[in-house]
Amino acid sequence: MKTKLFKLSLFTQKINRQHVQVVFALLALVLFVLGAGAPESGGIGPH
Amino acid sequence: MILLIAILLGVPAGLLLARWQKHSWVFPPLRVPWLVVLAFLPQLFAFYLPATRARIPDSWVSAGLLSSQILLLVFCWLNRRLSGTWLLALGLTLNLLVIAANGGFMPISPQTASRLVTQEVVQTVPLGSRFGYGKDVLLMPADTHLVWLSDRFLPPEGFPYQVAFSLGDVVIAAGAFWLTAAQGKSLQASFEKNIKEAE
Repeated sequence: MKTKLFKLSLFTQKINRQHVQVVFALLALVLFVLGAGAPESGGIGPH
Repeated sequence: MILLIAILLGVPAGLLLARWQKHSWVFPPLRVPWLVVLAFLPQLFAFYLPATRARIPDSWVSAGLLSSQILLLVFCWLNRRLSGTWLLALGLTLNLLVIAANGGFMPISPQTASRLVTQEVVQTVPLGSRFGYGKDVLLMPADTHLVWLSDRFLPPEGFPYQVAFSLGDVVIAAGAFWLTAAQGKSLQASFEKNIKEAE
């Protein structure tokens, strides 16, 4: 039982870590294209 | 927005490709993603946060934009082994060149700008001034260096979302799509592997 719980906890940790990595990498790519390319329309117009 | 659409299209394309190649889809293994967050910070304060963007002088904004884009180029270099990154770097370099050649902002002509806002609004912005709180500066094409790299393209009239974009933006969109669809791998190598397995 203890082994099963340990494996489950390891699996959960792995999933969470993978998810966090994917979300962070996706965020980085989104920020990259926003930073490198055309701005959103929000800033357009007179000061 | 066109750049975000490229990512949104690239992810399902990557999922389909991974399914066809019978392996699980993975997000491109980007190195030093925190560098992008760091590089984006000056732009966040200069263009996006209403509380700060009105207070930062234009000279600081242009310096921030240039340094931000140079850091993004460093990120591309550190991820150069990922397929598609070279397109991101090329597009970014094109934008960086025209921005650097025009005082630290992306030039946009009054004619192009009048498709985004009304003619009356464009007339209130003096030529050579920053156009709103964005990256653009209002310049006549004759006074623009590297005019072919400026924000001169527009979606078709009647398209619900009107935004000006540059040749560099198109290349960046292609790179973002390629990177997410190919998951950072060489597509040619994947195809060759599949063909060999089929034989």
